[in-house]
Amino acid sequence: MQTFVTEAVDWPNTAPALREQVRALVAEHGTRDPVRRANSWTKPAPEFSRKLGEAGLLGMTWPTEYGGQERSQLERYVVIEELLAAGAPVGAHWIADRQSGPLLLRLGNEELKRRWVPAIARGEAFACIGLSEPGSGSDLASVRTTARRDGDEWIIEGQKVWTTGAHVSHFMIALVRSEAGSERQAGLSQFVIPMDTPGVSVKPIIDLTGAHEFNEVFLEGVRLPASALLGNEGEGWKQATAELSLERSGPERYLSSMVLFLELVRHAGTASDPALEELVGRLAAEAWTLRLMSASVAAKLARGEDPALEATIVKDLGNSYEQAIPQLVQAAVDFGDAEAEVLRAVCFYLLQVSPSFSLRGGTREIVKGIIARGLGLR
Amino acid sequence: MNDTRRMLAEMADPLFAELGPDASEERALPQFEELGLPLLLVPEAEGGFGGDWLDALTVFRLAGYHALGIDLPALVVERAESIERELAMAFARAAQIAGALDAALGLAVGYVNERQQFGRPLGKFQAVQQSLATFACEAAAANCAAMGAAQALNRGAAEFEIAAAKLRANRAVEIGTTVAHQVHGAIGFTQEYALHHLTRRLWQWRSEYGNDAHWSRRLGSAVTARGADRFWPDLTARTDPACR
Repeated sequence: MQTFVTEAVDWPNTAPALREQVRALVAEHGTRDPVRRANSWTKPAPEFSRKLGEAGLLGMTWPTEYGGQERSQLERYVVIEELLAAGAPVGAHWIADRQSGPLLLRLGNEELKRRWVPAIARGEAFACIGLSEPGSGSDLASVRTTARRDGDEWIIEGQKVWTTGAHVSHFMIALVRSEAGSERQAGLSQFVIPMDTPGVSVKPIIDLTGAHEFNEVFLEGVRLPASALLGNEGEGWKQATAELSLERSGPERYLSSMVLFLELVRHAGTASDPALEELVGRLAAEAWTLRLMSASVAAKLARGEDPALEATIVKDLGNSYEQAIPQLVQAAVDFGDAEAEVLRAVCFYLLQVSPSFSLRGGTREIVKGIIARGLGLR
Repeated sequence: MNDTRRMLAEMADPLFAELGPDASEERALPQFEELGLPLLLVPEAEGGFGGDWLDALTVFRLAGYHALGIDLPALVVERAESIERELAMAFARAAQIAGALDAALGLAVGYVNERQQFGRPLGKFQAVQQSLATFACEAAAANCAAMGAAQALNRGAAEFEIAAAKLRANRAVEIGTTVAHQVHGAIGFTQEYALHHLTRRLWQWRSEYGNDAHWSRRLGSAVTARGADRFWPDLTARTDPACR
């Protein structure tokens, strides 16, 4: 049995130059506040997203016809791992660049592609994903929001919840039930819903730190043209789950607490405490391993394979790692020490937000269930 | 995997399986010699096999997978030049751990799919599934770490990668052996059942050529000495083309 076959990642020759470009851009336009740099892919900064768009660092792999750069998947990987490692505020465009753009290019009709894809690549259009509902979390196939035909149009009725970034987004790609009386995975379709459509309203949900990341989105008699249907009617489930490997194995699954690790290294340099150095060693080994694993999945995706089991393993290990860092730092560092003030601030911030790491993108329990199925259990 | 390496694996796999944990030197050594395995890392020009570190990974991992009773990696490393023996053996043990974890995982999955309790296979119970999923993640991490170290060895200096790989593999031993035994119940604890060949080796290899504390101190002091601002640039420079 071998569940994870790593192959040498053929890092692009352009990687060093791309890294320099991203590091310079983040140094100039990013944020210096270490707390803001933690978990930075949930921090929207539309100005920063536009800078990336201007620099040709969004939609990098997409056709130039739609505003892309036609660069390789691994070149994009280099850019996103640099952005995350530097704690750049990439939250505004993250979902659109990672999955909505690719999904539109793969399945969207010409009208949808023209309207949204070039704007995403410019860092001007942001997206949110309408999956969870009040009665439908991990059990996603129980969605009840409906789409019904009315002449040439569709009318959407229902509610989405925990919708990250809905308040800064320009459109939502929602999974809804388009066939009355259908059950579970059947009869679902995806729709592209501009957030300024009459009947769409967004209500904030404030998290335990006081931050506003997710929302409730109410869809009341939302009238959409026929062209708002994404892909094929009734195939929403297949479409929505097809790109999970991309979503689950990216560097955002292990780098959310990287800034805290780096602050720990800084602190260990002044504290001369062997226990801290041991912790640094252990966390460095894990970061090195996870980077290999994440990049290995990216290389397979770039070759057109779908390493779904491997991607899921990366998410589980990565989430556990980024959750463990604040716990281990708290256990090892004396926060009474005035020298540890920055470390303490980042640590307490991450202790509070890190429970979400093993919830977003599939809970730990769901993820482990997928791995178990991949092992041939169930 | 290239053709040479696939051929090597196809040779070593059945041989190691047949020799197994109870292999005797009298039987094993002539067969190793015949296949040229002890000369795996000796250049062809010097009459060796001319293999690289990815070839070594393949062989060492399979030695671990079959809990091979002879320390073949030590024979190979003895003849390898231009690398400190301690480092090379730490790499070898990481590769063996990776193989043995995969084998133990395979045994565990096979067992829980077969063993029935409460009218269904153990593998149907969510608690068992979740434990095995955790084990699978650890086995995957150990395998990737060993692979990363082999790739680095082929590029040149690999002290950081070997330290990280041995440390990561060591850490995987804890969860791997714990879950493997837990899901097997009492049978896994017997001499007649094959699991102990793997788990007892895993505990041995975790200690040999650097335990967790040894490598985390070494890695930690190196990373700390370089400083926080060098960690990420160093990490990426290790794999980027311009720095190969």
